[in-house]
Amino acid sequence: MESRININVERENQYSVLKESFHNAPYKLTHYGAPRAQAHLEMIIMSASPGILDGDRLTININVKPEAHMKLYTQSFNKLHSMKNGAFQDTIVNLKENSILHYIPHPVTPFKDSIFKAENTINMDTSATLIWGDILGAGRIYMNEAFLFNKVHMRTRLYRNNQLIFTDNQCLKTADQPVRDMLFFEGYTHQATFIYCSPFATGMKAEMDEILAGEYEDISFGFTDAGENTVLLRALGNDGELLYSFLSMLGQMCWEYTQHQQSLLFSVEDQQTKEDAEAELVQEAFATKKKKTMSAAKKRKRSTAA
Amino acid sequence: MNPLLTLLQINDSVFPIGSFTHSYGLETYIHKGLVHNSATTKSYAQSMLRYNMYYNDAAFFAKAWQLCEGKFSKVKLLELDQLVSSFKSPYEIRQASKKLAIRFLKVVEGFGAARRCKSYLKAIQSGEAGGHYPIAFAMYAQSQSISYEDALSAFYYNTLNGIVTNCAKLVPISQMDGQQILFDLQGLIQELVSSQADMDEDMLGNCCVAQDLRCMQHEKLYTRIYIS
Repeated sequence: MESRININVERENQYSVLKESFHNAPYKLTHYGAPRAQAHLEMIIMSASPGILDGDRLTININVKPEAHMKLYTQSFNKLHSMKNGAFQDTIVNLKENSILHYIPHPVTPFKDSIFKAENTINMDTSATLIWGDILGAGRIYMNEAFLFNKVHMRTRLYRNNQLIFTDNQCLKTADQPVRDMLFFEGYTHQATFIYCSPFATGMKAEMDEILAGEYEDISFGFTDAGENTVLLRALGNDGELLYSFLSMLGQMCWEYTQHQQSLLFSVEDQQTKEDAEAELVQEAFATKKKKTMSAAKKRKRSTAA
Repeated sequence: MNPLLTLLQINDSVFPIGSFTHSYGLETYIHKGLVHNSATTKSYAQSMLRYNMYYNDAAFFAKAWQLCEGKFSKVKLLELDQLVSSFKSPYEIRQASKKLAIRFLKVVEGFGAARRCKSYLKAIQSGEAGGHYPIAFAMYAQSQSISYEDALSAFYYNTLNGIVTNCAKLVPISQMDGQQILFDLQGLIQELVSSQADMDEDMLGNCCVAQDLRCMQHEKLYTRIYIS
């Protein structure tokens, strides 16, 4: 089945609002709670289908206009059913000046014999912020279906001002790779990737260095400065729900940090404009005064001459 | 100049570019006890060559070679460099690639390197390019009438030799076991070299998530002998 989801977010005064959205079966796009409960927009993608079926093709278009902020949620784990040919998902994201997108979908659960390819293309402005995540599980472990999927290929490409700055290419083929062993899942059942791409990445990395200084028992993780204002975190674990909470917690941290930094930046800019305006007024006043003094001096000169 | 001798020289583990200071995440594997004897060393080495190097550094080497053999242009070189940078996410891995590229290009500058090698070095130093060792190595080797198969085999061998030497020091494994692994994996290297040109383009830069994670964890290891 071919499906589309289009989301356009714009800023209107202090609110980020949904404009020209589109969705068709089996998907539904709706507000996550009351639309005006917060200044940013919160949307949720829901699905009436039991999961992704053979031959499904979903295209998601997300446009976040200047200054607009959006959190996009999913409803539940993304179940990939048994397939012969495979399913595709294309996500195209455009982030304009000072926009923020937070999108951490629920984990993907690939059933036995599933074949899935997801391509994510993100175009962003230098001032925009992306908070992104993906989690992949081994399959329905309690149905004895761990690592029985056929192929899962997820590729994420980040472009800033049309320059490719980051690529994450993850292709897992259970028949060709020792997916349970070293370099792959290493005994764990879930893997997660978290991306924070933002002009405030360096500061956020320093925060993470402090906050994530310890080690966890249930999750093995590492993070790095991936260059080009991007922080990348990867994690392994045995519980999809736990990794989802972990990534959501990180996402919320990054979200708040970005908003805080933006507000500081804007208040500095406001202050600067205010100061500039004041300086201009002073200069103007000074110039008028100078003019007056000059003409007065000239008058005096003329009267003395006379 | 003799191509074989040149290849032996630039591929030598003591060629002064500092490659022996990097473990590319292996130190984390040893620290966490995941690589702890000769058997795990061998399986780590095999997996690294087949699932990591084949789609990454060796593939970047092949791309650079192709570029030098065909219609070379600096624009295309910079494009390739940018593409490689986009794949190398862990900070230490990116830095290792850059440092090795710079030192390698500086050393071969005195050996009458092609002009394009000098221009790549300049581009890295000015920040125009990120700088990547597989690209630099392929560019110079290609200009020295070394055959593609020999150069790529040597490139694989050098990585394998690095893994084995690091394990001999850190795990530790015996020198005999180390040499046996080097010898046993000849077949694998041959297989990878012969199929490199047919690699599925969709798999370029394929990332093994756990390996990437171990490279990142290396940044925070309590004791570190290696830079990466």
